Amino acid sequence: MATVTIKHVTKAFGDNVVLKEFNETFGDGEFITLLGPSGCGKTTMLRIIAGFEKPTSGELYIDDQLVSGGKTFIPPEKRSIGMVFQSYAVWPHMNVYDNVAYPLTIKKTPKAEIRKHVERVLEIVHLSQYAERFPNQLSGGQQQRVALARALVAAPKLLLLDEPLSNLDAKLRESMRFEIKEIQRQLGITVVYVTHDQTEAMAMSDRIFLINRGVVQQCGTPEQIYNEPANQFVADFLGKVDFFKGVSANGRISLTGMNGQSIAYDGPRTGKVEVAVRPEKLYFSPDGVLEGVLESQYYLGDVDDCRVRVGDVLVRVIANGYEYKSLHVGQKVRLGIRDIMVFEDDGSLEQMLKIQT
Amino acid sequence: MKNAVAMQQSIGRRDRAPVVSKLILALVFVLGLVVIYMGYTGMREYGASGFSAESAYSAIHALGGDTAAAWQKKLQPQLDALSADRRAAVDQAAAELLTAAWENQKAGGAADAQAMLDAGDGETAWKLLYATYLVNGPKVSTAIKKELAALSGSELAETRVGLLNCIADESAALPKAAEAAAGGLTGSERTAMLTQLLFVANGSAEATDQVNVLKKGVRDKAAQLDAFRMIAGNEVSWVFQLVVSNSRTAILVGIILALDALLLTLLMMGDKTWIIDFKWIIILLIVDFLLLFQLMPLIYMVIKAFFPESSFSLETFKRLYTYPLNLDALKNTLIAAFATMILGTLLAFPLAWLVGRTNLYGKKFFRALFVLTYMVPPYVGAMAWLRLLNPNVGTINQWLRALLGLSDAPGPLNVYTLPGMIWVLTSFYYPYAFITISRAMEKMDPSLEEASRISGGSPLKTLFTVTLPMMMPSLISGALLVFVSAASCYGIPSIIGSPGRVHTVTTRIVEYVSLGQQALNDATGMAVFLMVMAVIILFISDVVLAKRQYITVSGKSVRPAIVDLRAWRVPLTVIVGIFAVIMIFIPFATIFATSFKIDIGKTMFAENNFTLINWTTVFGRTETMNCLKNSLVYASVTATVGIVIACTMSYLLQRTRIRGRKIPDFLITLGSGTPSVVIALGLIMTMKGNFGINIYNTAYIMIIAYTIKYLMMGMRTVVSAMSQIHVSLEECSQVSGASWLRTMFKITGPLIFPSIAAGWFLIFIPSFYELSMTTLLYSSTTKTIGFQLYEYWTFTSQPMSCAMAFGILLIVVFLNFVLNRLTKGEFSI
Repeated sequence: MATVTIKHVTKAFGDNVVLKEFNETFGDGEFITLLGPSGCGKTTMLRIIAGFEKPTSGELYIDDQLVSGGKTFIPPEKRSIGMVFQSYAVWPHMNVYDNVAYPLTIKKTPKAEIRKHVERVLEIVHLSQYAERFPNQLSGGQQQRVALARALVAAPKLLLLDEPLSNLDAKLRESMRFEIKEIQRQLGITVVYVTHDQTEAMAMSDRIFLINRGVVQQCGTPEQIYNEPANQFVADFLGKVDFFKGVSANGRISLTGMNGQSIAYDGPRTGKVEVAVRPEKLYFSPDGVLEGVLESQYYLGDVDDCRVRVGDVLVRVIANGYEYKSLHVGQKVRLGIRDIMVFEDDGSLEQMLKIQT
Repeated sequence: MKNAVAMQQSIGRRDRAPVVSKLILALVFVLGLVVIYMGYTGMREYGASGFSAESAYSAIHALGGDTAAAWQKKLQPQLDALSADRRAAVDQAAAELLTAAWENQKAGGAADAQAMLDAGDGETAWKLLYATYLVNGPKVSTAIKKELAALSGSELAETRVGLLNCIADESAALPKAAEAAAGGLTGSERTAMLTQLLFVANGSAEATDQVNVLKKGVRDKAAQLDAFRMIAGNEVSWVFQLVVSNSRTAILVGIILALDALLLTLLMMGDKTWIIDFKWIIILLIVDFLLLFQLMPLIYMVIKAFFPESSFSLETFKRLYTYPLNLDALKNTLIAAFATMILGTLLAFPLAWLVGRTNLYGKKFFRALFVLTYMVPPYVGAMAWLRLLNPNVGTINQWLRALLGLSDAPGPLNVYTLPGMIWVLTSFYYPYAFITISRAMEKMDPSLEEASRISGGSPLKTLFTVTLPMMMPSLISGALLVFVSAASCYGIPSIIGSPGRVHTVTTRIVEYVSLGQQALNDATGMAVFLMVMAVIILFISDVVLAKRQYITVSGKSVRPAIVDLRAWRVPLTVIVGIFAVIMIFIPFATIFATSFKIDIGKTMFAENNFTLINWTTVFGRTETMNCLKNSLVYASVTATVGIVIACTMSYLLQRTRIRGRKIPDFLITLGSGTPSVVIALGLIMTMKGNFGINIYNTAYIMIIAYTIKYLMMGMRTVVSAMSQIHVSLEECSQVSGASWLRTMFKITGPLIFPSIAAGWFLIFIPSFYELSMTTLLYSSTTKTIGFQLYEYWTFTSQPMSCAMAFGILLIVVFLNFVLNRLTKGEFSI
């Protein structure tokens, strides 16, 4: 439906630069997620697209039309965008129907047509029977869907969602996640979604832009950024990860502090490296490559969360419960490794992981 | 094992508690009834014995010897200065008045009086007559009393001589002060009134004060003497004697005891456990205080208005509202309040929006400036506008005349009119609406408006379809606040309205009160009108509007969306700036400049027109300093009492779920919504001994009035601070092992301290410069700076009163500065 082209957008509030050189294109019909810790600039980017903030420099195009940049600025009401706010922003003095009908009323759409559109969109968000209610008579989840219906009713070419699920409880959040994705698929609309919840991002997105301190760290499909993180921050932010220091030479990495034990490595990096291992990619196996002592074990239902001491280092292992029923704390174990990620050790890890808020 | 025993014991206590509690409650209730009965019987006895002149004479010797002597010392020089035959004539007149009065009291009284006169010396007739007239003499209206009190020592002496001459010689010209009171009288009626005036014209403040003590003493003594007589004759026990002499107080105490017992029973019936909670006692104490000093006067006034002669009659209202002056007052009040509300809101809304939600230049400065007006006494504003818009010498009129090339005839603007009064009321009360509206505006979630923008609504469309409707409840309650404040304002109409013959309900009430006893009933009728209006508005804004309130003011702070004014930014800033100059800068500058002038018609810099004498005179007088001291003391006491109640109430409201905690809350809200004049009038009518409490003409009555009116300001501040502190902070301290008291002092106290300090000042400042209630409640020893200023303005000199007004302003600004420092900038008014 619409493409968004962002060219060298930088945004600063006074001396505080919150977005640096944002330079990307969101394709037509794509579900784009801007992901990052709070304060990373993702919401600012969304508000620039909406027209609530002006970029300090750079240009923004929607469907090849320049909307922000240079002397051009098209105000939000002229951009034909739908948006759902974190606080829902459902107007308390209007009932559900009037809330949803508002964008059409502004456009002076004929009454009958408004009714048709509002009813259709209320159908989509499962609120048909609540049309006459006022927002204070609705639950948080229902209000959220009113906001969604209002954003969709005018058939916008672009839908912006600002952490729309963060105020809902866990169960509702999960079901809404799929509903939103489903609606997007039905309507074929371009969506820009802002969240700090990586699971949400993974479940819904076509492409994720992982942002930290105003800079895009990596962009790609959920699989790409989970399996091939561009740097330690990306690896750390998505999923669970342990970092170990080591030295890579001759196809092996010897790990610091693990009694000289080493693991095989066929990648290009040599010298001092940082090895990132996801706990679920480790497993207990009699012919594993690392030897250690099982120090603790917590039953979590579907999996077991264990700690194994290898030399001086504690290694976290998330293992399927049925694989090692015979193990007990204090026992010697061997760990197999399915996959590792290796980064150059330039001493920047601490700095990079520190989340700026 | 030990624990089990202890537990069982405590269970045992629990089991017994209901019985004990019920027993205590029943006892208190019965005790209340008994005390009422005893008081009632006592009053019958007391009534039968009456205020006899004989007991008055005994009392004057027992209690008032010094007073009489002091008074005698004042009168004696004038008596001695009379020629011999005149002296004989006045002594003769005094003796005749005395015998007449005593004969009126009881059969054979004349003979008693004669016997006493024969036994006494030359001054006995005067002393006895003085005592008798104190208890039961011709009535002198409050207005005349005040007029006499305003005279200087030498003027008083002159008046006394004049009065004595008139007593001796009916054809002598009446002194000026006596014209109104005795002008139409003849014969013995005239002599009696002149003599009473002579007694009233006794000058200095100490004398008035002692007369009050004496009056009360005579009254109490009369009853006690009767009681003693009965005891001597073995008629009653000593317990009864105590009750007899304090019968009205006894009835009051009895009613309160019985009421408390009933209330507590009701509360405990809901609670089911029947354990008397200490908190209930506190609630009851607060409720008792409010019932006694707030509700009882109001109810008494309503009863008085509808039962003027102890049977139902609408006579008072008929008389009142068929009198054209009162009808005018009514009309003026409604028109002025309505116009002020509309004008004030029309000014406040755009200002609040510009200052709160746009990128106007200097908006923080403007905001502070508009709020500043809030803490300026209304009469100071009125004085400033009088100086500016006086038809003859008003500065603005002079400019306009020069500008338009008009002749020197008065005008073109005249402040002494209804529109003039509306203008001044607006300039003072628009900040009320401004504060309410801008608070709501700043608390509004900006995404509500952004949602409208993204839905296609332009900024203007958004303003009308989202911002305004959401603001409407706050807007209306701000407007209603302006309405009720303007309608119950006394300071402005008294300064502007009275000289221009623009009467309002409040000025009429004050005039009626100064006319004395009979007119008090008429004042009540007017007050009931004001009260009903205030209660209706209070109900609308607290109950009806509160339900439709979309914006929760106590919510987390949000960053409101700022509208870019673009090309309008500079012009709008200029307009707001001009507005601020007209509304704030010019009036204050006028007050300041006038205080240095000799001729107020010329500028401060005109030749020989600059002087410091106004300042040195005003602040050099002991009287001013005494008034200032009074104001500071009363305001401090009020603020301290108020903040203690406020903290207690906040705790009860925010931290307990105890039943009945809303009762005092409701009463306090009602009190602050009651017009000042009504509160004061109610207190006057009920607190002069007729209900067993006599605090009339004392500082207590003023402090109580201030407390009732301003308590809520402090309470709301502390309550909202406490609601911001999550209860878990306190619970955490208690879990850590701290006692409740320690938690209050170490955790809650420090956290809400800024608000407590702010609450204290919020009560202190309006109490400090109060005028409406003070006008009705002051006595010559309890004058406050506000009233002193009013007197200076009306009777003495405008430049001097301007000096005083500016002094008050400086004090208030200084206090605000202290508050700001004390709360680290979190609060200022």
